[in-house]
Amino acid sequence: MPGLLKLPQRSPRKSGPSFVLRSLSMIVVIGFAFPASYLVWRNFTDGGQPFDLLTSRRTTEPLIRTLKLAFAVSLTSMLLGSCLAWLTARTDLPLLRFWRVILPVPLVFPTFIGAAAFIRTFAPGGLAHQALGWVGIDAVLQFRGFFGAWFVLTLFTYPYVYLPVSSRFRQLPSSMEESARLLGDAPFTMFRRVILPQTAGAIGAGTLLVFLYTISDFGAVQLLRYDTLTRAIATNQLANPPAALALSLALLILAAIVVSAERATSRRLPTFGDTQAGRTVRYSLGRWKAPSIGLATLAAGLGVVAPFVALLDWASGALNPGSRGLTVDTGKVVDATWNTLHISVLAAVAAILAVLPIALLVGRYQTRGGAFAHAVVISSFALPGILIALAMRFWTLRSDVAFDLFSDTKALLVFAYVVRFGSLAMGVTLLAVKAVPQQLNDAARILGATSFRRFVSIDLPLMRPGLLAAAGLVLLSTMKELPISLLIAPLGFSTLTTRTFSSFEEAFVVEAGIMAVVLVVLSFVLSWALVLRRADDL
Amino acid sequence: MKPRIAAVLLTIAIFASACGSASTNVTGVAGDIYGGECADRVDESVTVYSGRAENLLAPVLDAFQCETGIDVEVRWGSSTDLALLLAEEGDKTSADVFLSKSPGPVGFLESKDLLGMISQDVLDLVEPQNRSAEGRWVGFSGRKRVLVANLDAVEDSELPESVFDLTDPLYKGRVAIAATNGSFLDWFTVFRDQFGTETATEWLDAMVENDAHSYANNRAIVSAVGLGEVDMGLVNHYYNYQVAAAEGESHRAQNHDLGDDDIGSLLIITAASVTQTSENDPVAEQLLSYLLSTPVQEYFTNETFEYPLASGVALNPVLPELVALEIGSVDFDALGGGFEETLAIIEASGILNQ
Repeated sequence: MPGLLKLPQRSPRKSGPSFVLRSLSMIVVIGFAFPASYLVWRNFTDGGQPFDLLTSRRTTEPLIRTLKLAFAVSLTSMLLGSCLAWLTARTDLPLLRFWRVILPVPLVFPTFIGAAAFIRTFAPGGLAHQALGWVGIDAVLQFRGFFGAWFVLTLFTYPYVYLPVSSRFRQLPSSMEESARLLGDAPFTMFRRVILPQTAGAIGAGTLLVFLYTISDFGAVQLLRYDTLTRAIATNQLANPPAALALSLALLILAAIVVSAERATSRRLPTFGDTQAGRTVRYSLGRWKAPSIGLATLAAGLGVVAPFVALLDWASGALNPGSRGLTVDTGKVVDATWNTLHISVLAAVAAILAVLPIALLVGRYQTRGGAFAHAVVISSFALPGILIALAMRFWTLRSDVAFDLFSDTKALLVFAYVVRFGSLAMGVTLLAVKAVPQQLNDAARILGATSFRRFVSIDLPLMRPGLLAAAGLVLLSTMKELPISLLIAPLGFSTLTTRTFSSFEEAFVVEAGIMAVVLVVLSFVLSWALVLRRADDL
Repeated sequence: MKPRIAAVLLTIAIFASACGSASTNVTGVAGDIYGGECADRVDESVTVYSGRAENLLAPVLDAFQCETGIDVEVRWGSSTDLALLLAEEGDKTSADVFLSKSPGPVGFLESKDLLGMISQDVLDLVEPQNRSAEGRWVGFSGRKRVLVANLDAVEDSELPESVFDLTDPLYKGRVAIAATNGSFLDWFTVFRDQFGTETATEWLDAMVENDAHSYANNRAIVSAVGLGEVDMGLVNHYYNYQVAAAEGESHRAQNHDLGDDDIGSLLIITAASVTQTSENDPVAEQLLSYLLSTPVQEYFTNETFEYPLASGVALNPVLPELVALEIGSVDFDALGGGFEETLAIIEASGILNQ
């Protein structure tokens, strides 16, 4: 039979991606590119003068404050995260396992909840203020402005540096370090010449995340009254739309510059193989032991224990009988919890569905279109949530069709979450796609299985673990999201973050505390179950 | 590798859906407003944009929903934001009723022809000075501007007679303002109206110069003053009663009335309106008259310590009687036009970063 003989010559790799796959990817790319493009377009069509507005004091002042804060937080997070990583990865720090479990935990706190905890704790009547009072200090620490924002953001973002850097430290082969020492390098020289160049990439990547997080943070700077770009955008979004658009353009440009600068420098860094060569050297801390324990205790104490105790303290107010008009309604807690969980699960599923076609294009067919689509999705990680929210809001308000279709819908909210966090799912999903051996697909094709059947019975089961991990990342991030949830949630739809935020702003501290405790505990349990527990090297 | 992750997600879904079925009975405070059996659901609904805080107004809307069977949908927010949002949404809005903490935002919408006429029956529930002359919004409770002061940090002799005193160095760094809050905005617009924009702006700039602190809203100020975080603050009278009722002796703050003829003693009323798109909507009108019904007006004065505006409702005995001067001394209709300019002046003053 001639037909059968021909088959093996037609290499399956040469058959390009299907039309369906390419169209799906195209739609996804348009979706991801839409919010930023829309903002730029509006800037130039709304009748305002974007260039005048960009250079006016109203834009430059928040921009300068944003930069000041972002550089300060990046620097301290980089130092703190790298030091802690070194201590837990390469030294004989006591209680190592305990530190490895607790040091990434500040990530489960949305930064605005951390900010709220510190504002209230140091204010008169707060726990820290009382504690200081017992030792005879009656200090009112004003947790406001630059200092407060820098302090809080450093505490809650250092894990972005700590996590990649500690895993890098643990991968470094001992051979080079030993050679350097044998050749007579002093410990510090050895660190600078051997270890630093090999970890610079990880430190840089982590610090970039911190920088981007800081410029996009809204909740913490809002509560701490430090007027960065995001806060100015929120203030102006309705009162002065052209100003809000110009501010958002400034933020967009800033994010783009930072990402391209990082790409450019990381390309020039020397690359080293990910050698997981057996044993790494552990250095003895010696007389540095006590200060090292102190540093780790300080980070864990301020970043995990203190805020959690503060939240429990507020929530415990529910046990005091207060005026009935002000007591907490359990129905609201249940409602917000349910909303948070189901919208996060929806966003996670939608994000996987969105990035999967692109992962297939890139991982299986290596087309140029696929590479472009991948780049668009990946770069969206630099897009601050408030910009996505603003674009969606302006879009639904200014376009009748969009208003009728999407205004006040969960679909719009889920779409915004997917654009915000889809990039997190992209990398893991791509790995999952690449993990499917091509031979299996080829064999199934020869046996006559349709592409749909191959997808369901071969690809999906093999990719499942990776896809679930990707979904987990999106789920956790969505749970903690504030600005998007605040600005475009449908009528009457509140999540744990929006409830916590508005209750705290209204000084309903008991309610804020309960909502925040539920959120933080859920976030911790899910992080543990979905992400941290799987980290092999805890 | 990880079927457990699937199990975790599934567990969440089950747990969450179990929680999803909340109870529908009215209990607690809402039960005081309407204690009877809930009516069967009717096929009608009303969408409310509420600038009044959820914790205070939700019981009223819950009681309304229970008593009438009408479904109530609410968007909670600041009065200012919601008014601006309504202006953006125009005739596309899904809102039927807009409730504002103060007359400025409704006046602003009235000036843009975005509010519908309210029927005379509803308007007549309050005195003519407590509603718009055009008949497009109606007041439903009153609140007096006061200075709330910490009992320990502020000497009686230090308490000022007028808001103009607060720019004095004696008060440097000691006064809090809720600069984006509806009540403050409206108060400031009246201030501009009576003293001229120049004087009002100078006063605000002097307050910024004097290190006045900016808070998100009145409640946050009262709570902070009670804790001693800041010594005093310009607020509406009723928050201090609420916080004191909730926290008892530990709340160390009390209201100080500025002079009877001082601009700092203004009475600000909350306002209810119907959007242009829902003009003549009987359900929207029904909600407005419900707000002015005796049980709800009693709730406002007894539970939230406000001044009732519907006639025939007794004032909560803990509240001081209003001085005649404070009522009707201001033309609230003039507020709408000044609304946007007031926002711009406040933003330019730099108070928001303090």
